[in-house]
Amino acid sequence: MLSVISYPLFAVSILLALVLSISLFPLDWLTFRPEWLGLMVFYWTFRAPGRFGILLAWCLGLLLDVLESTPLGVNGLAMAVIAFLVLTMHQRLRMYPLIQQCLMVFLVLGINQMLVHFLKQLLGADNTGFSYLWPAATGALIWPFLSGLLDNLNRKLG
Amino acid sequence: MPGLRLFLVVVVSAALIVADGRFGKLSEVRSTLATGLAPVYWLGNAPANLSDWFAGLFVSKDDLQQENEDLKARLLILERRALKYAALASENNELRQLLNSAEVLDDRVIVGEVVGVSPDPFSHELVINKGSNDGVREGLAILDAHGLMGQVIQTSKFTSRVLLVSDSSHAVPVEVVRNGLRAILLGTGDPNTLDLVHVPNTADIRTGDLLVSSGLGGRFPRGYPVAEVSDISQEPGDPFVSIKATPMAELNQSRMVLVVFPAPKADGDRSDPNAFNGDLPPAEGEAP
Repeated sequence: MLSVISYPLFAVSILLALVLSISLFPLDWLTFRPEWLGLMVFYWTFRAPGRFGILLAWCLGLLLDVLESTPLGVNGLAMAVIAFLVLTMHQRLRMYPLIQQCLMVFLVLGINQMLVHFLKQLLGADNTGFSYLWPAATGALIWPFLSGLLDNLNRKLG
Repeated sequence: MPGLRLFLVVVVSAALIVADGRFGKLSEVRSTLATGLAPVYWLGNAPANLSDWFAGLFVSKDDLQQENEDLKARLLILERRALKYAALASENNELRQLLNSAEVLDDRVIVGEVVGVSPDPFSHELVINKGSNDGVREGLAILDAHGLMGQVIQTSKFTSRVLLVSDSSHAVPVEVVRNGLRAILLGTGDPNTLDLVHVPNTADIRTGDLLVSSGLGGRFPRGYPVAEVSDISQEPGDPFVSIKATPMAELNQSRMVLVVFPAPKADGDRSDPNAFNGDLPPAEGEAP
């Protein structure tokens, strides 16, 4: 748990995550785009479980729903589940070495993606195999860099 | 008590998903939120704008002059074609009036720019920088310079969302230019392939045939090129041929798009500085 949290950094990081979620990107790599907002929700609930939680994650998920034009609530629900999982295990998570943290990021983001995919299929999307798990995998790969960067910024700004 | 909160959120989300996904009750909420998120769209497009601007800094004068020459030549060719077209269009409209047909050919268009793509790789959607403030509404057709791209499915004040013809949930009623054969063109989820379905084995259709929107179904204006037949395979025993077509529009690449408004009805059109009628300026030899 960090002793200081910078709220402006929080706002900027969320805005950046939303922008990165939709910014023009080589179309062939779109499958591998990390789940930016999921990572941010993971990071901020992990670092300040007392202040960021399920309701905030849900609201951010609704924004992502608007950006992705999925039915309102799909990503909201999935983001809330990320926050819930992190809240229940953040104390254990802190003890883990970095590699194991990455694995947990993959699991949690994977559950998020699976839930989104499942809900979309209920509402009539195509089945596309397991490629929807790529955002979780790439998200886990950049987790060490992202958390390191945000920790540093938090210490400087907070 | 995270458990209780999660339960609450699950219940509310389920209600929202059903209301939005099944009954489409929340389009206003969505539109309001999207209007609030307009800065995100702008920022998302900023890197592309910046790189365009940066590339523009290092274009040599020769290149610019060359480009200018090319554009002038092209303009001349197009102007000549437009002159011919103006005469044909007026003649056509007269003939239609003689036939008591209500349909007038000229459509009004505005130019928009693509400011975002759908983050979901399995849905083919774009976001353009024209919204309900510019008069865009759901169901309008979107073109690029080569053909039909898709239709508007959702608008906010400053942006709207476009479903591309290649999305697997999209269908366009089309006809073959050569003989008027009608069929339905379905998206496949692959940006370079469309499926022409329910064409009988005996139908007269060949590779290379141009498919234009037929205007049936009342959604797309008539006569815009949509795709070109690229592959026909007949399975003996199947009632229908399986036909693949390649979209004419550059679905992956186009940055500038046209929003097509159906021809204004008799109650007069609004004057919009961005928009022009199909009317062409009088041809003059030299600009003042």
